[in-house]
Amino acid sequence: MRDTTQPLPFVPATRAVFDLSLEGMIWSRRSLLMGLLVALPAVLAVVYRVVLASGTPARGLAPLDLYALVVAVFWIRNVLPLAALFHATSLVADEVEGRTLTYLLTRPITRPAILAGKFAAYLVTSLAVALPAAVLTFFLLASARGWSGVGAAVPDLFRDLGVMALSLVAYGALFTLMGVLLKRPVIPGLLFLFGWELLANLPGYLPRLTLTTWLRSLIRHRPAEEGLSQLFAQVQPVGWSLTVLFVASAVFLAAAAFIFTQREYVLEQ
Amino acid sequence: MSAPISFARASRWYGPVIALNDVTIDIPPGVTGLLGPNGAGKSTFLKLTAGQLRPSQGEVRLLGQPAWGSPELFHRVGLCPEADAFWEQLSGLQLLVTLLRLTGYDEAECRQRAENALHQVDLLDAKNRKLGGYSKGMRQRIKLAQSIAHDPDVLLLDEPVSGMDPVNRRRVIDLVRRLGREGKTVLVSSHILHEIEAMTRQVLLIHNGRILAEGDVREIRDLLDEHPHTVALRARDPRALAAAVVGWPSVLSLSFGEEGEWLTVQTARPDEFYGALHDAALESGVVEMYSPDEDLESVFRYLVAR
Repeated sequence: MRDTTQPLPFVPATRAVFDLSLEGMIWSRRSLLMGLLVALPAVLAVVYRVVLASGTPARGLAPLDLYALVVAVFWIRNVLPLAALFHATSLVADEVEGRTLTYLLTRPITRPAILAGKFAAYLVTSLAVALPAAVLTFFLLASARGWSGVGAAVPDLFRDLGVMALSLVAYGALFTLMGVLLKRPVIPGLLFLFGWELLANLPGYLPRLTLTTWLRSLIRHRPAEEGLSQLFAQVQPVGWSLTVLFVASAVFLAAAAFIFTQREYVLEQ
Repeated sequence: MSAPISFARASRWYGPVIALNDVTIDIPPGVTGLLGPNGAGKSTFLKLTAGQLRPSQGEVRLLGQPAWGSPELFHRVGLCPEADAFWEQLSGLQLLVTLLRLTGYDEAECRQRAENALHQVDLLDAKNRKLGGYSKGMRQRIKLAQSIAHDPDVLLLDEPVSGMDPVNRRRVIDLVRRLGREGKTVLVSSHILHEIEAMTRQVLLIHNGRILAEGDVREIRDLLDEHPHTVALRARDPRALAAAVVGWPSVLSLSFGEEGEWLTVQTARPDEFYGALHDAALESGVVEMYSPDEDLESVFRYLVAR
Protein backbone atom coordinates (compact mmCIF):
# COMPACT_ATOMS: atom_id res chain seq x y z
CA MET A 1 0.00 0.00 0.00
CA ARG A 2 1.42 3.38 -1.00
CA ASP A 3 1.81 5.98 1.70
CA THR A 4 0.55 9.11 0.00
CA THR A 5 1.42 11.36 2.92
CA GLN A 6 5.14 10.99 2.28
CA PRO A 7 7.40 11.28 -0.76
CA LEU A 8 8.55 7.97 -2.19
CA PRO A 9 11.36 6.37 -0.16
CA PHE A 10 14.81 7.48 -1.31
CA VAL A 11 16.07 4.19 -2.74
CA PRO A 12 13.15 3.26 -5.05
CA ALA A 13 12.87 6.88 -6.19
CA THR A 14 16.59 7.02 -6.95
CA ARG A 15 16.37 3.70 -8.77
CA ALA A 16 13.50 4.89 -10.96
CA VAL A 17 15.35 8.10 -11.89
CA PHE A 18 18.51 6.06 -12.50
CA ASP A 19 16.70 3.74 -14.94
CA LEU A 20 15.20 6.67 -16.79
CA SER A 21 18.48 8.58 -16.98
CA LEU A 22 20.72 5.65 -17.88
CA GLU A 23 19.13 4.97 -21.24
CA GLY A 24 19.25 8.60 -22.29
CA MET A 25 22.82 8.98 -21.07
CA ILE A 26 24.36 5.86 -22.61
CA TRP A 27 23.32 6.74 -26.14
CA SER A 28 23.92 10.48 -25.92
CA ARG A 29 26.41 12.14 -28.24
CA ARG A 30 28.33 13.39 -25.22
CA SER A 31 28.79 9.84 -23.91
CA LEU A 32 29.92 8.55 -27.27
CA LEU A 33 32.50 11.32 -27.63
CA MET A 34 33.80 10.94 -24.09
CA GLY A 35 33.76 7.16 -24.54
CA LEU A 36 35.99 7.44 -27.59
CA LEU A 37 38.39 9.69 -25.71
CA VAL A 38 38.49 7.46 -22.64
CA ALA A 39 39.01 4.35 -24.76
CA LEU A 40 41.78 5.95 -26.84
CA PRO A 41 44.67 4.33 -24.88
CA ALA A 42 43.21 0.90 -25.60
CA VAL A 43 43.32 1.68 -29.31
CA LEU A 44 46.87 2.99 -29.00
CA ALA A 45 47.84 -0.14 -27.09
CA VAL A 46 46.58 -2.25 -29.99
CA VAL A 47 48.69 -0.14 -32.36
CA TYR A 48 51.68 -0.59 -30.03
CA ARG A 49 51.23 -4.36 -30.15
CA VAL A 50 50.91 -4.34 -33.93
CA VAL A 51 54.12 -2.33 -34.22
CA LEU A 52 55.89 -4.77 -31.90
CA ALA A 53 54.57 -7.75 -33.84
CA SER A 54 55.90 -6.28 -37.07
CA GLY A 55 59.40 -6.62 -35.67
CA THR A 56 60.08 -2.91 -35.17
CA PRO A 57 62.37 -2.56 -32.14
CA ALA A 58 60.58 -0.83 -29.23
CA ARG A 59 62.35 2.21 -27.80
CA GLY A 60 61.53 4.54 -24.96
CA LEU A 61 59.33 3.49 -22.07
CA ALA A 62 58.82 -0.09 -20.99
CA PRO A 63 55.21 -1.26 -21.61
CA LEU A 64 54.24 -1.22 -17.92
CA ASP A 65 55.73 2.26 -17.50
CA LEU A 66 53.72 3.35 -20.48
CA TYR A 67 50.61 1.88 -18.84
CA ALA A 68 51.40 3.73 -15.59
CA LEU A 69 51.77 6.97 -17.53
CA VAL A 70 48.41 6.45 -19.20
CA VAL A 71 46.70 5.79 -15.85
CA ALA A 72 48.25 8.69 -13.95
CA VAL A 73 48.51 11.38 -16.57
CA PHE A 74 45.98 10.54 -19.26
CA TRP A 75 43.09 9.11 -17.27
CA ILE A 76 43.30 10.29 -13.69
CA ARG A 77 44.79 13.70 -14.31
CA ASN A 78 43.05 14.68 -17.55
CA VAL A 79 40.44 12.61 -19.30
CA LEU A 80 38.35 11.26 -16.44
CA PRO A 81 38.04 14.71 -14.80
CA LEU A 82 37.09 16.04 -18.22
CA ALA A 83 34.47 13.30 -18.66
CA ALA A 84 33.18 14.12 -15.18
CA LEU A 85 33.03 17.81 -16.07
CA PHE A 86 30.97 17.31 -19.21
CA HIS A 87 28.65 14.68 -17.73
CA ALA A 88 28.12 15.88 -14.20
CA THR A 89 27.61 19.57 -14.93
CA SER A 90 24.79 18.60 -17.27
CA LEU A 91 22.88 16.24 -14.97
CA VAL A 92 20.24 18.87 -14.24
CA ALA A 93 21.09 21.26 -17.08
CA ASP A 94 20.08 18.69 -19.73
CA GLU A 95 16.63 18.31 -18.16
CA VAL A 96 16.28 22.08 -17.96
CA GLU A 97 17.39 22.56 -21.56
CA GLY A 98 15.13 19.72 -22.74
CA ARG A 99 12.31 21.14 -20.57
CA THR A 100 11.70 17.67 -19.13
CA LEU A 101 12.61 18.62 -15.57
CA THR A 102 8.96 19.50 -14.92
CA TYR A 103 7.99 15.83 -15.23
CA LEU A 104 10.50 14.88 -12.53
CA LEU A 105 9.62 17.77 -10.24
CA THR A 106 5.91 16.94 -10.34
CA ARG A 107 6.30 13.42 -8.96
CA PRO A 108 6.21 12.51 -5.27
CA ILE A 109 9.99 12.18 -5.07
CA THR A 110 12.49 14.38 -3.31
CA ARG A 111 14.96 16.42 -5.27
CA PRO A 112 17.97 14.71 -3.63
CA ALA A 113 16.60 11.42 -4.98
CA ILE A 114 16.46 12.92 -8.47
CA LEU A 115 20.04 14.11 -8.19
CA ALA A 116 21.23 10.80 -6.74
CA GLY A 117 19.57 8.80 -9.53
CA LYS A 118 21.12 10.96 -12.19
CA PHE A 119 24.55 10.90 -10.50
CA ALA A 120 24.40 7.11 -10.31
CA ALA A 121 23.55 6.95 -14.02
CA TYR A 122 26.53 9.18 -14.84
CA LEU A 123 28.81 7.01 -12.74
CA VAL A 124 27.66 3.74 -14.31
CA THR A 125 27.90 5.19 -17.83
CA SER A 126 31.42 6.49 -17.25
CA LEU A 127 32.65 3.38 -15.46
CA ALA A 128 31.21 1.15 -18.17
CA VAL A 129 33.64 2.77 -20.62
CA ALA A 130 36.62 3.60 -18.43
CA LEU A 131 37.12 0.31 -16.59
CA PRO A 132 37.04 -2.05 -19.59
CA ALA A 133 39.35 0.38 -21.45
CA ALA A 134 41.80 0.26 -18.54
CA VAL A 135 41.69 -3.55 -18.31
CA LEU A 136 42.22 -3.91 -22.04
CA THR A 137 45.07 -1.39 -22.09
CA PHE A 138 46.72 -3.08 -19.13
CA PHE A 139 46.71 -6.56 -20.66
CA LEU A 140 47.74 -5.35 -24.11
CA LEU A 141 50.73 -3.46 -22.70
CA ALA A 142 51.68 -5.77 -19.83
CA SER A 143 51.79 -8.82 -22.09
CA ALA A 144 53.69 -7.04 -24.86
CA ARG A 145 56.88 -8.87 -23.96
CA GLY A 146 55.30 -12.06 -22.78
CA TRP A 147 52.98 -13.08 -19.96
CA SER A 148 55.63 -13.79 -17.35
CA GLY A 149 55.35 -10.58 -15.29
CA VAL A 150 51.67 -9.95 -15.83
CA GLY A 151 50.36 -11.84 -12.81
CA ALA A 152 52.46 -9.81 -10.39
CA ALA A 153 51.11 -6.56 -11.82
CA VAL A 154 47.42 -7.52 -11.61
CA PRO A 155 46.96 -6.18 -8.03
CA ASP A 156 48.11 -2.81 -9.32
CA LEU A 157 45.48 -3.03 -12.04
CA PHE A 158 42.74 -3.50 -9.44
CA ARG A 159 44.09 -0.61 -7.48
CA ASP A 160 44.12 1.56 -10.59
CA LEU A 161 40.53 0.63 -11.37
CA GLY A 162 39.54 1.68 -7.86
CA VAL A 163 41.36 5.01 -8.17
CA MET A 164 39.78 5.65 -11.57
CA ALA A 165 36.35 4.99 -10.08
CA LEU A 166 37.15 7.28 -7.16
CA SER A 167 38.33 9.93 -9.56
CA LEU A 168 34.97 9.81 -11.36
CA VAL A 169 33.16 9.98 -8.01
CA ALA A 170 35.16 12.91 -6.61
CA TYR A 171 35.29 15.05 -9.74
CA GLY A 172 31.71 14.06 -10.59
CA ALA A 173 30.50 15.22 -7.19
CA LEU A 174 32.35 18.53 -7.50
CA PHE A 175 31.02 19.18 -11.00
CA THR A 176 27.50 18.17 -10.00
CA LEU A 177 27.72 20.91 -7.39
CA MET A 178 29.01 23.38 -9.98
CA GLY A 179 26.23 22.29 -12.33
CA VAL A 180 23.45 23.19 -9.91
CA LEU A 181 25.24 26.27 -8.60
CA LEU A 182 26.24 27.98 -11.84
CA LYS A 183 24.33 28.71 -14.99
CA ARG A 184 27.37 28.14 -17.22
CA PRO A 185 29.65 25.78 -15.29
CA VAL A 186 31.90 24.45 -18.08
CA ILE A 187 34.39 27.34 -18.26
CA PRO A 188 34.82 27.53 -14.46
CA GLY A 189 35.17 23.74 -14.49
CA LEU A 190 37.92 23.87 -17.09
CA LEU A 191 39.66 26.61 -15.12
CA PHE A 192 39.48 24.44 -12.05
CA LEU A 193 40.90 21.40 -13.85
CA PHE A 194 43.67 23.11 -15.75
CA GLY A 195 44.35 25.99 -13.39
CA TRP A 196 43.59 25.22 -9.80
CA GLU A 197 44.56 21.56 -10.00
CA LEU A 198 48.09 22.56 -11.11
CA LEU A 199 48.63 23.61 -7.50
CA ALA A 200 49.22 19.91 -6.91
CA ASN A 201 52.70 20.40 -8.42
CA LEU A 202 53.76 23.11 -5.99
CA PRO A 203 55.63 22.57 -2.75
CA GLY A 204 54.01 23.31 0.59
CA TYR A 205 50.46 22.96 1.85
CA LEU A 206 48.55 24.14 -1.23
CA PRO A 207 48.56 20.76 -3.06
CA ARG A 208 46.29 19.42 -0.33
CA LEU A 209 43.58 21.72 -1.65
CA THR A 210 43.48 19.82 -4.94
CA LEU A 211 41.79 16.53 -5.71
CA THR A 212 44.71 15.45 -7.88
CA THR A 213 47.09 15.25 -4.94
CA TRP A 214 44.88 12.80 -3.05
CA LEU A 215 44.10 10.71 -6.11
CA ARG A 216 47.73 10.56 -7.19
CA SER A 217 48.68 9.37 -3.72
CA LEU A 218 46.57 6.27 -4.20
CA ILE A 219 48.40 5.00 -7.27
CA ARG A 220 51.18 2.61 -6.35
CA HIS A 221 53.26 2.69 -9.54
CA ARG A 222 54.31 6.21 -10.42
CA PRO A 223 55.05 7.13 -14.02
CA ALA A 224 58.74 7.55 -14.61
CA GLU A 225 58.33 10.81 -16.48
CA GLU A 226 56.12 13.51 -15.09
CA GLY A 227 58.47 16.37 -15.84
CA LEU A 228 59.16 19.01 -13.21
CA SER A 229 56.11 18.03 -11.24
CA GLN A 230 58.00 14.90 -10.23
CA LEU A 231 60.28 17.09 -8.12
CA PHE A 232 57.49 18.39 -5.92
CA ALA A 233 54.77 15.76 -6.15
CA GLN A 234 53.55 14.95 -2.68
CA VAL A 235 52.41 11.54 -1.63
CA GLN A 236 49.84 11.46 1.14
CA PRO A 237 49.03 8.39 3.26
CA VAL A 238 46.52 6.06 1.58
CA GLY A 239 44.04 6.00 4.45
CA TRP A 240 44.08 9.75 4.74
CA SER A 241 43.70 10.14 0.97
CA LEU A 242 40.69 7.84 0.90
CA THR A 243 39.09 9.69 3.79
CA VAL A 244 39.61 13.10 2.22
CA LEU A 245 38.23 11.97 -1.14
CA PHE A 246 35.16 10.29 0.33
CA VAL A 247 34.39 13.17 2.67
CA ALA A 248 34.92 15.75 -0.08
CA SER A 249 32.63 13.81 -2.44
CA ALA A 250 29.93 13.49 0.21
CA VAL A 251 30.14 17.20 1.04
CA PHE A 252 29.98 18.21 -2.64
CA LEU A 253 26.96 15.96 -3.25
CA ALA A 254 25.16 17.09 -0.11
CA ALA A 255 25.71 20.73 -1.05
CA ALA A 256 24.48 20.03 -4.60
CA ALA A 257 21.36 18.33 -3.26
CA PHE A 258 20.69 21.24 -0.90
CA ILE A 259 21.03 23.84 -3.66
CA PHE A 260 18.94 21.78 -6.09
CA THR A 261 16.22 21.50 -3.46
CA GLN A 262 16.12 25.26 -2.94
CA ARG A 263 16.32 26.36 -6.56
CA GLU A 264 13.43 27.28 -8.80
CA TYR A 265 13.59 26.33 -12.44
CA VAL A 266 11.74 28.64 -14.77
CA LEU A 267 11.65 26.68 -18.01
CA GLU A 268 11.21 28.40 -21.36
CA GLN A 269 7.86 27.62 -23.01
CA MET B 1 -12.80 22.40 5.11
CA SER B 2 -10.25 24.40 3.09
CA ALA B 3 -10.41 24.73 -0.70
CA PRO B 4 -8.12 22.37 -2.66
CA ILE B 5 -6.28 25.35 -4.13
CA SER B 6 -5.84 28.50 -2.12
CA PHE B 7 -3.91 31.72 -2.81
CA ALA B 8 -3.52 34.22 0.03
CA ARG B 9 -2.14 37.59 -1.09
CA ALA B 10 0.26 35.75 -3.35
CA SER B 11 2.55 37.70 -5.64
CA ARG B 12 5.32 36.57 -7.86
CA TRP B 13 7.85 38.64 -9.70
CA TYR B 14 10.78 37.86 -11.97
CA GLY B 15 13.33 40.57 -11.31
CA PRO B 16 11.48 43.84 -11.90
CA VAL B 17 8.58 42.17 -13.77
CA ILE B 18 5.45 41.38 -11.79
CA ALA B 19 3.90 38.20 -13.14
CA LEU B 20 1.23 37.79 -10.48
CA ASN B 21 0.09 40.59 -8.26
CA ASP B 22 -1.49 40.15 -4.82
CA VAL B 23 -3.86 37.32 -5.65
CA THR B 24 -6.24 35.99 -3.03
CA ILE B 25 -8.57 33.26 -4.17
CA ASP B 26 -9.94 29.85 -3.20
CA ILE B 27 -10.60 27.38 -5.99
CA PRO B 28 -13.24 24.76 -5.15
CA PRO B 29 -13.56 21.21 -6.53
CA GLY B 30 -14.89 20.94 -10.07
CA VAL B 31 -13.52 22.45 -13.26
CA THR B 32 -12.29 26.04 -13.12
CA GLY B 33 -11.08 27.80 -16.22
CA LEU B 34 -8.15 30.18 -16.01
CA LEU B 35 -8.64 32.54 -18.87
CA GLY B 36 -6.31 35.24 -20.07
CA PRO B 37 -4.17 36.28 -23.00
CA ASN B 38 -0.54 35.19 -23.34
CA GLY B 39 1.60 36.93 -20.74
CA ALA B 40 -1.38 37.48 -18.44
CA GLY B 41 0.12 35.32 -15.69
CA LYS B 42 -1.71 32.03 -16.32
CA SER B 43 1.41 29.88 -16.45
CA THR B 44 2.86 31.57 -13.38
CA PHE B 45 -0.43 30.95 -11.58
CA LEU B 46 -0.28 27.26 -12.52
CA LYS B 47 3.40 26.92 -11.66
CA LEU B 48 2.81 28.45 -8.25
CA THR B 49 -0.11 26.08 -7.75
CA ALA B 50 2.04 23.13 -8.81
CA GLY B 51 4.84 24.13 -6.45
CA GLN B 52 7.25 24.78 -9.31
CA LEU B 53 7.71 28.37 -8.21
CA ARG B 54 7.84 29.92 -4.77
CA PRO B 55 5.61 32.95 -4.21
CA SER B 56 7.67 36.12 -3.81
CA GLN B 57 5.08 37.21 -1.26
CA GLY B 58 2.02 35.63 0.32
CA GLU B 59 1.08 31.97 0.37
CA VAL B 60 -0.10 29.30 -2.04
CA ARG B 61 -1.63 26.14 -0.58
CA LEU B 62 -2.52 22.96 -2.37
CA LEU B 63 -4.67 20.36 -0.62
CA GLY B 64 -4.05 22.21 2.62
CA GLN B 65 -0.25 22.17 2.38
CA PRO B 66 2.21 24.75 1.11
CA ALA B 67 2.54 24.08 -2.62
CA TRP B 68 6.29 24.78 -2.68
CA GLY B 69 8.53 22.09 -1.19
CA SER B 70 5.89 19.41 -0.68
CA PRO B 71 6.70 16.65 -3.19
CA GLU B 72 4.34 14.22 -1.44
CA LEU B 73 1.46 16.27 -2.87
CA PHE B 74 2.16 14.79 -6.28
CA HIS B 75 0.62 11.49 -5.23
CA ARG B 76 -2.63 13.45 -5.56
CA VAL B 77 -1.78 16.13 -8.11
CA GLY B 78 -1.27 15.89 -11.87
CA LEU B 79 0.24 18.57 -14.07
CA CYS B 80 -0.06 18.82 -17.84
CA PRO B 81 2.63 21.40 -18.68
CA GLU B 82 2.47 23.73 -21.64
CA ALA B 83 5.97 22.95 -22.93
CA ASP B 84 6.04 20.46 -25.77
CA ALA B 85 8.96 18.47 -24.40
CA PHE B 86 9.64 14.79 -23.72
CA TRP B 87 12.42 12.26 -23.50
CA GLU B 88 12.08 11.62 -27.20
CA GLN B 89 13.75 8.20 -27.11
CA LEU B 90 10.85 6.76 -25.09
CA SER B 91 7.62 5.37 -26.49
CA GLY B 92 4.29 6.68 -25.21
CA LEU B 93 3.85 3.61 -23.03
CA GLN B 94 7.41 3.82 -21.67
CA LEU B 95 6.90 7.47 -20.72
CA LEU B 96 3.78 6.72 -18.75
CA VAL B 97 5.20 3.60 -17.10
CA THR B 98 8.34 5.52 -16.11
CA LEU B 99 6.40 8.40 -14.62
CA LEU B 100 4.08 6.01 -12.80
CA ARG B 101 7.11 4.23 -11.33
CA LEU B 102 8.19 7.63 -10.06
CA THR B 103 4.79 7.88 -8.42
CA GLY B 104 5.34 4.64 -6.54
CA TYR B 105 3.36 1.98 -8.37
CA ASP B 106 4.66 -1.52 -8.99
CA GLU B 107 5.43 -2.74 -12.49
CA ALA B 108 2.09 -4.46 -13.15
CA GLU B 109 0.04 -1.53 -11.90
CA CYS B 110 2.18 0.93 -13.86
CA ARG B 111 1.40 -0.90 -17.05
CA GLN B 112 -2.29 -1.25 -16.31
CA ARG B 113 -2.66 2.42 -15.36
CA ALA B 114 -0.58 3.54 -18.33
CA GLU B 115 -2.75 1.59 -20.78
CA ASN B 116 -5.89 2.92 -19.15
CA ALA B 117 -4.65 6.52 -19.49
CA LEU B 118 -3.59 5.92 -23.10
CA HIS B 119 -7.04 4.55 -23.81
CA GLN B 120 -8.65 7.66 -22.33
CA VAL B 121 -6.76 9.91 -24.74
CA ASP B 122 -7.10 7.50 -27.68
CA LEU B 123 -3.41 6.70 -27.97
CA LEU B 124 -3.48 2.99 -27.22
CA ASP B 125 -2.75 2.11 -30.85
CA ALA B 126 0.33 4.35 -30.83
CA LYS B 127 1.61 3.24 -27.43
CA ASN B 128 4.79 1.62 -28.76
CA ARG B 129 5.76 4.44 -31.11
CA LYS B 130 8.63 6.70 -30.09
CA LEU B 131 7.48 10.09 -28.84
CA GLY B 132 9.76 11.72 -31.40
CA GLY B 133 7.40 10.38 -34.07
CA TYR B 134 4.18 11.68 -32.49
CA SER B 135 2.24 14.49 -34.17
CA LYS B 136 1.59 17.71 -32.25
CA GLY B 137 -1.91 16.62 -31.30
CA MET B 138 -0.64 13.23 -30.08
CA ARG B 139 2.03 14.94 -28.02
CA GLN B 140 -0.63 17.09 -26.40
CA ARG B 141 -2.65 13.99 -25.58
CA ILE B 142 0.28 12.04 -24.14
CA LYS B 143 1.02 15.01 -21.87
CA LEU B 144 -2.55 14.85 -20.68
CA ALA B 145 -2.33 11.08 -20.23
CA GLN B 146 0.71 11.37 -17.95
CA SER B 147 -1.14 13.89 -15.81
CA ILE B 148 -4.20 11.66 -15.25
CA ALA B 149 -2.57 8.22 -15.16
CA HIS B 150 -2.21 8.18 -11.35
CA ASP B 151 -5.83 9.31 -10.85
CA PRO B 152 -5.02 12.57 -9.06
CA ASP B 153 -7.50 14.58 -6.99
CA VAL B 154 -6.17 17.85 -8.40
CA LEU B 155 -5.39 18.29 -12.06
CA LEU B 156 -3.56 21.33 -13.43
CA LEU B 157 -3.81 21.65 -17.20
CA ASP B 158 -1.85 24.33 -19.04
CA GLU B 159 -3.43 24.95 -22.47
CA PRO B 160 -4.34 21.24 -22.82
CA VAL B 161 -6.11 21.36 -26.19
CA SER B 162 -3.73 23.70 -27.95
CA GLY B 163 -2.86 22.33 -31.40
CA MET B 164 -5.40 19.49 -31.34
CA ASP B 165 -7.73 18.66 -34.17
CA PRO B 166 -11.46 19.21 -33.52
CA VAL B 167 -12.25 15.55 -32.84
CA ASN B 168 -9.59 15.14 -30.18
CA ARG B 169 -10.34 18.60 -28.80
CA ARG B 170 -13.90 17.39 -28.24
CA ARG B 171 -12.64 14.20 -26.64
CA VAL B 172 -10.38 16.06 -24.22
CA ILE B 173 -13.09 18.55 -23.35
CA ASP B 174 -15.43 15.66 -22.53
CA LEU B 175 -12.71 14.05 -20.41
CA VAL B 176 -12.17 17.26 -18.42
CA ARG B 177 -15.89 17.65 -17.85
CA ARG B 178 -16.15 14.06 -16.67
CA LEU B 179 -13.28 14.51 -14.22
CA GLY B 180 -15.01 17.59 -12.86
CA ARG B 181 -18.25 15.66 -12.40
CA GLU B 182 -16.31 12.96 -10.52
CA GLY B 183 -15.37 15.57 -7.93
CA LYS B 184 -11.79 16.24 -9.01
CA THR B 185 -10.42 19.75 -8.83
CA VAL B 186 -9.41 20.68 -12.36
CA LEU B 187 -7.75 24.00 -13.08
CA VAL B 188 -7.41 24.49 -16.81
CA SER B 189 -5.78 27.46 -18.48
CA SER B 190 -6.49 28.76 -21.93
CA HIS B 191 -6.51 31.98 -23.87
CA ILE B 192 -9.60 30.88 -25.77
CA LEU B 193 -12.89 31.69 -24.17
CA HIS B 194 -14.83 29.19 -26.19
CA GLU B 195 -12.51 26.37 -25.17
CA ILE B 196 -12.96 27.14 -21.49
CA GLU B 197 -16.65 27.62 -21.94
CA ALA B 198 -16.96 24.13 -23.39
CA MET B 199 -15.38 22.69 -20.24
CA THR B 200 -16.88 24.73 -17.44
CA ARG B 201 -18.93 27.71 -16.42
CA GLN B 202 -16.61 28.60 -13.55
CA VAL B 203 -13.85 30.91 -14.74
CA LEU B 204 -11.11 33.14 -13.43
CA LEU B 205 -10.20 36.01 -15.70
CA ILE B 206 -6.55 36.93 -15.38
CA HIS B 207 -4.86 39.90 -16.97
CA ASN B 208 -1.55 41.64 -16.25
CA GLY B 209 -1.02 39.38 -13.25
CA ARG B 210 -4.30 40.24 -11.57
CA ILE B 211 -7.53 38.31 -11.24
CA LEU B 212 -9.97 40.58 -13.05
CA ALA B 213 -13.08 38.58 -12.31
CA GLU B 214 -14.28 35.19 -11.17
CA GLY B 215 -17.61 33.54 -11.61
CA ASP B 216 -19.96 32.23 -14.25
CA VAL B 217 -18.62 32.42 -17.77
CA ARG B 218 -22.06 33.36 -19.10
CA GLU B 219 -21.85 36.68 -17.32
CA ILE B 220 -18.81 37.70 -19.30
CA ARG B 221 -20.03 35.97 -22.40
CA ASP B 222 -22.95 38.41 -22.52
CA LEU B 223 -20.45 41.24 -22.60
CA LEU B 224 -18.67 39.77 -25.57
CA ASP B 225 -21.48 38.92 -27.88
CA GLU B 226 -20.79 41.61 -30.41
CA HIS B 227 -17.04 41.22 -30.28
CA PRO B 228 -15.57 39.52 -33.40
CA HIS B 229 -13.73 36.29 -32.72
CA THR B 230 -10.91 34.98 -34.93
CA VAL B 231 -10.33 31.27 -35.58
CA ALA B 232 -7.35 29.94 -37.54
CA LEU B 233 -7.76 26.46 -39.07
CA ARG B 234 -5.13 24.34 -40.80
CA ALA B 235 -6.68 21.81 -43.14
CA ARG B 236 -5.61 19.39 -45.82
CA ASP B 237 -8.11 21.09 -48.14
CA PRO B 238 -8.59 24.67 -46.91
CA ARG B 239 -10.45 25.70 -50.06
CA ALA B 240 -13.09 23.02 -49.50
CA LEU B 241 -13.37 24.19 -45.90
CA ALA B 242 -13.77 27.78 -47.05
CA ALA B 243 -16.47 26.75 -49.50
CA ALA B 244 -18.30 24.91 -46.73
CA VAL B 245 -18.28 27.73 -44.17
CA VAL B 246 -18.53 30.84 -46.36
CA GLY B 247 -22.31 30.84 -46.39
CA TRP B 248 -22.81 30.40 -42.66
CA PRO B 249 -24.57 33.33 -40.97
CA SER B 250 -22.02 33.21 -38.13
CA VAL B 251 -19.07 33.90 -40.47
CA LEU B 252 -18.07 37.53 -40.98
CA SER B 253 -15.01 37.07 -43.19
CA LEU B 254 -12.49 34.54 -44.49
CA SER B 255 -8.84 34.76 -45.51
CA PHE B 256 -6.16 32.27 -46.56
CA GLY B 257 -2.74 32.10 -44.94
CA GLU B 258 0.48 32.63 -46.90
CA GLU B 259 1.34 28.96 -47.21
CA GLY B 260 -2.15 28.04 -48.35
CA GLU B 261 -2.80 25.54 -45.55
CA TRP B 262 -4.38 27.99 -43.14
CA LEU B 263 -7.82 29.50 -43.27
CA THR B 264 -8.64 32.38 -40.92
CA VAL B 265 -12.28 32.95 -40.05
CA GLN B 266 -13.81 35.93 -38.28
CA THR B 267 -17.06 35.15 -36.55
CA ALA B 268 -19.44 37.23 -34.47
CA ARG B 269 -21.08 34.14 -33.00
CA PRO B 270 -18.38 31.69 -31.92
CA ASP B 271 -20.81 29.24 -30.30
CA GLU B 272 -22.78 28.83 -33.45
CA PHE B 273 -19.62 28.64 -35.57
CA TYR B 274 -17.91 25.98 -33.43
CA GLY B 275 -21.15 24.05 -33.19
CA ALA B 276 -21.49 23.88 -36.96
CA LEU B 277 -17.79 23.27 -37.63
CA HIS B 278 -17.53 19.64 -36.63
CA ASP B 279 -18.83 18.00 -39.87
CA ALA B 280 -17.12 20.48 -42.19
CA ALA B 281 -13.87 19.99 -40.32
CA LEU B 282 -14.01 16.23 -40.76
CA GLU B 283 -14.70 16.49 -44.49
CA SER B 284 -11.94 18.98 -45.23
CA GLY B 285 -9.38 17.32 -42.94
CA VAL B 286 -8.82 20.02 -40.32
CA VAL B 287 -5.66 19.06 -38.46
CA GLU B 288 -5.11 22.08 -36.24
CA MET B 289 -7.17 24.93 -34.92
CA TYR B 290 -6.49 27.86 -32.65
CA SER B 291 -7.73 31.29 -31.84
CA PRO B 292 -4.99 33.89 -32.23
CA ASP B 293 -4.05 35.46 -28.96
CA GLU B 294 -4.37 39.03 -30.16
CA ASP B 295 -8.05 38.38 -30.34
CA LEU B 296 -8.37 37.65 -26.64
CA GLU B 297 -6.04 40.50 -25.83
CA SER B 298 -8.48 42.80 -27.58
CA VAL B 299 -11.35 41.13 -25.74
CA PHE B 300 -9.65 41.89 -22.45
CA ARG B 301 -8.99 45.46 -23.45
CA TYR B 302 -12.65 45.64 -24.31
CA LEU B 303 -13.65 44.14 -20.95
CA VAL B 304 -11.31 46.32 -18.94
CA ALA B 305 -12.58 49.38 -20.73
CA ARG B 306 -16.12 48.51 -19.73
